[in-house]
Amino acid sequence: MGETILEVSHLSYLYGNDQEALQDVSVSMEKGEKIAVIGSNGAGKSTFFLNLNGVLTPHEGTVSYRGRVITKSKKDLNYLRKNVGIVFQDADNQIIASTVFQEVSFGPMNLKLTKEEVTERVKEALSYMNITRMRDRAPHYLSGGEKKRVSIADIIAMKPEVIIFDEPTASLDPMNASMLEEVLKKLEQEGRTILISTHDIDFAYRWAERILVFEGGRIIADGKPVEIFQNDEVLARANLRKPTFLEVFETLEQKGLVKGDSYPRDIQSFRALFK
Amino acid sequence: MEPQEQNDLLEHGHRHGRGSRHGHSGRIFGHQHGEGHLSIDYYAYSSKMRPWNPSFKIVMSVFFLICVIAMDSMAVSAIVLFTMAALVMFKGKLGVSRYLNLMTLPFIFIALSSTAIAFDFSLVPKGEYCLQLGFFYISATRASLISTANLVLKAFSAVSCLYMMTLTTPMGEIVGFFRKIHVPKILVELMYMIYRFIFILLDAQRRMSVAARSRLGYCDRKTSWYSFGSIFSNLLIISLKRANAYYDAMESRCYDGDLRFLEDDKPLSPFLAAGAALFTAVLAGVWYFTR
Repeated sequence: MGETILEVSHLSYLYGNDQEALQDVSVSMEKGEKIAVIGSNGAGKSTFFLNLNGVLTPHEGTVSYRGRVITKSKKDLNYLRKNVGIVFQDADNQIIASTVFQEVSFGPMNLKLTKEEVTERVKEALSYMNITRMRDRAPHYLSGGEKKRVSIADIIAMKPEVIIFDEPTASLDPMNASMLEEVLKKLEQEGRTILISTHDIDFAYRWAERILVFEGGRIIADGKPVEIFQNDEVLARANLRKPTFLEVFETLEQKGLVKGDSYPRDIQSFRALFK
Repeated sequence: MEPQEQNDLLEHGHRHGRGSRHGHSGRIFGHQHGEGHLSIDYYAYSSKMRPWNPSFKIVMSVFFLICVIAMDSMAVSAIVLFTMAALVMFKGKLGVSRYLNLMTLPFIFIALSSTAIAFDFSLVPKGEYCLQLGFFYISATRASLISTANLVLKAFSAVSCLYMMTLTTPMGEIVGFFRKIHVPKILVELMYMIYRFIFILLDAQRRMSVAARSRLGYCDRKTSWYSFGSIFSNLLIISLKRANAYYDAMESRCYDGDLRFLEDDKPLSPFLAAGAALFTAVLAGVWYFTR
């Protein structure tokens, strides 16, 4: 058990038209956890993320970071935003500057670092995402995958402890998707907490250590991937399906071809079953 | 820059160019300037003169523009025109054909207005050069031709000065210069945002118009007008929505009301400064002796 880093308790959020986007959400996250957030469109995932980052403030309940309860004061909000970064789904809604270098410098500049430190961080983030050669290019002349990398570098340059990805795999080609998984691996080795919302069930099953299922503004399940995906009631309520690997494994298990409780999550561990 | 990288750049440019041409070739934007506008932006990003200190380029461009107008000498105008054009074409590696192409637009304006100045219409023959056309004459005097030539040269020379700036300095750096000379913050930030949004909205417009075309949205005049109207009213809604999304994204990165970017330090090379000083001295000399 690691230390609790981000804690949400009894959080409710209403949109302007009095419609509850989030109802009584409580969850606590530990340092270094890999959490996938799944659920249908409009289940409240994005609203939840914006609350975690202080862009939206809850109507009821609290968000606390490392034990510090975040109030509506500027100081608290900046403390939260500094430590929790969001990579937005559409990079075009995130990129604001007219060169890649300036774009990545935006976050660190807002942290009021010295010029040298900002330069250092930007360089680091660019090489982290392997986009150093694009530093002087304009965002409007980049391809979709390149923009995604820039939007991730934006957040990495701020060095948050928790990084949230809002549907990062949507609209990425296979090559960029595997680039993304490598970046996730690197971030994980650095001990950062990662939250990813996704509709890619197989990815969530393969990657996550813990899964939160959202439905109608509530968390209806929170647990290990295998537990979640074997719970047919939860799957039915959230309109989800089983991951392919789990289904294949269960079929083989029924036929008596494999047994045991070491559920394979990727092709390597699946092959290892037949050695 | 490595050749591989350059290829990459060109490829994007082409892809972009093609994309935007699609957007403009429809009946929505019948005119062609839109594309020219975007290509200037693209050329500025890929210019080999980009590493030069942007403030230097902007100040020099305006300074030589003022020189040309104030000195009012054909020799000075000609020297500035050729120097600026050569700088952009060869030092900035823009190439002769692209540069000349970009000059066609001002050329049309200058040609039209200068003919009006050079020639005179009258019912009786007069001037050193005279052409009878039915009952009236088109005439010109030597003096009027010379003053027109002077004016044309001056106009082209002024354009070349501004092209030196716009074809080698991306908009972001120009806005950065405005920030440095303490133009009010609100204007500077608006300029940044407008510049970025031009491309975002152009892209949105392009997508919608392609989608409309794929559903026969431009099959006849009436339908075209209808599609045109719908796309533009949608564009308004999209721009409001995106402005919201933008604000969220900026807030999540600790935005506190001040738009701050780290400006790249591009130190002014002493050679360039010396070159500019020398060039100014040459212009002053030429002006003095041809006065």
